[in-house]
Amino acid sequence: MSAVQASPGKEASAESTLVLPSVVGKPKSRFRPTTAGWFARGLAWAALAWFVFAVPGNFLSPFDLHGEDIGHLITAAVFVIIGLSLNILIGYTGTISLGHQAFVGIGAFMAAYMEVDLGIDFWFAVPIAAIVGGVQAAVLGAISLRLTGLYFALVTFAYGVFTEESIFGIIGFTGGDAGKAVTRPMGFQSPTAYYYLCLGFVVVVLWLDWRLTRTKGGRALQALRENPRVASSYGINVKAYTLLAFVTSGVFAAVAGALFAHGKDLIVPQNFGFELALSFILMTVVGGLRNRAGVVIGSVFFALMEGGWLFKTWLFDTVGVDWLLEDGIGLPLSFVPLVLGPILLILTLTTHPGGIGQQIAPIKEWMLGRKFDIHTGKVRDVEVTDVRA
Amino acid sequence: MALLEVRDLVVGYDQYPVLHGVSFDVEQGECCVLLGLNGAGKTTTVTTVAGMLQPQSGSITFDGKELRKGSPSQRVAGGISLSPEGRRLFPRLTVSQNLKLGAWSRRRDSKTLKRQMDLVRDYFPRLAERENQLAGTLSGGEQQMLAVGRAMMSRPKLLLIDEASLGLSPTVARTVWEVTSRIKADGTTVLMVEQNAGALPFADRALIMEKGTLVYTGVGDELRTVNLREAYLGSGA
Repeated sequence: MSAVQASPGKEASAESTLVLPSVVGKPKSRFRPTTAGWFARGLAWAALAWFVFAVPGNFLSPFDLHGEDIGHLITAAVFVIIGLSLNILIGYTGTISLGHQAFVGIGAFMAAYMEVDLGIDFWFAVPIAAIVGGVQAAVLGAISLRLTGLYFALVTFAYGVFTEESIFGIIGFTGGDAGKAVTRPMGFQSPTAYYYLCLGFVVVVLWLDWRLTRTKGGRALQALRENPRVASSYGINVKAYTLLAFVTSGVFAAVAGALFAHGKDLIVPQNFGFELALSFILMTVVGGLRNRAGVVIGSVFFALMEGGWLFKTWLFDTVGVDWLLEDGIGLPLSFVPLVLGPILLILTLTTHPGGIGQQIAPIKEWMLGRKFDIHTGKVRDVEVTDVRA
Repeated sequence: MALLEVRDLVVGYDQYPVLHGVSFDVEQGECCVLLGLNGAGKTTTVTTVAGMLQPQSGSITFDGKELRKGSPSQRVAGGISLSPEGRRLFPRLTVSQNLKLGAWSRRRDSKTLKRQMDLVRDYFPRLAERENQLAGTLSGGEQQMLAVGRAMMSRPKLLLIDEASLGLSPTVARTVWEVTSRIKADGTTVLMVEQNAGALPFADRALIMEKGTLVYTGVGDELRTVNLREAYLGSGA
């Protein structure tokens, strides 16, 4: 059953033993950090853990964070979930949603309605909000995923505006302009405790997202992003898998919304305007599509920038950034995200297609115990499949 | 009865017919090569068999059953697998992910999946070396091997290979054809589309197409005496 047996003539059988030059070479010996190297990496991890866990709790921290500050950190955790949710759509399937603020808003008001009006407990309200988010995504997706690219984005945009104008205007559901005030769940009433609860949700979403990319379904999603026609010729149901991604994304967004509702003292329909959808897309793309760490950092950055809070903090205040922006060039701090976001987007698309994820790749690899290599994770081109028009 | 029977196949793009009534058989266990110039209708023929184009008239019978309307994925599940022209890999997925996607129709059958994976590794040891490399970073020859390997993953009864030699050096093209012979020897029927007459020695039978019709069918030793110039350039040449 060898090639020789089947090949006609001597000449061809001589060819069959031809060995093409191999570029693989001998396997490199595995890199192991020295003791000092492990120590340095340990310190880096400790610093990260300190920043995420200790600082918000005012533990071993020079900062003194209060209600409003913690509120921004809660928003950051919520934005991380939203960023991961959009990453599934844009990053894995190459479809853009301009109506994600509606998904988040529906999750938020659903949870608020159930708790305030129906008296349902937080631990039931959040899953129900997630299911509702999934169902509305399924309905919207089943109808509109016949379109792709730009036209699909337009439908989601219209859906976002429609939701804002109609569903969020139902006073019985959202409280209208008066909004809804939700109390935080038992045991997590202080903002700090609630922040840790949100972190827990972030971990669960991160894990689910990781599982999603590791399974057969994840492979199918990647294949259909690469080339939907070839993928379908191998039997992958392109529509079903895009819908699955859309629904997963909707579920995550609704969970984020439910958490958001509890993070604020009061939520009003104006919280979920179209600008928010833009921020979501900016933070996901600038963070780096298909790069979990990048999306997380991008989302946190944009969340902290909301309303210009980041520039009022100790570090920027000391350097005088807020003064420079507000008094120097007359730019209100709350407008900074809308100026900085597009600049970062242009930089990402033109010079650093991998976004923040690409920038931090060397550090990430180093922290994971590999050798520091500044060229790790280099992405050369913007992938055309990222936006399939 | 032949494994694949194509009768009076007429296929066109919009109103322009490309195939004007093509009929041929591919017998169980043979390796057939479909030769012809650009625009002769070779690719149209195999993509129609693979279910990506719908014929205007004529019939395709595979394994005793007539294939009517059916999506490519149904054909894959039914045992027809195409390695498309220009490879059409998933360039940013790894070699092993590409292969696993080829076996999508058998994704719930881990035994077959593993066996086909081992088989492909055996056919193309170079792919085994590069399992975790992105498909887009492979050389042209390796990409072609991957395209054929991916098509083999669904454990087809009939393997269609469209222009395996496209853009490859003669030596690398030969390596791919040799594996084709092995695939045939292992029991899979093969229909290759080629422009390159170098594939002839690896085939049991040649079908030569010109302007949407079959102009020549040759078996075995006839291949070596066939006046290819006549077939390629027309009888006037």
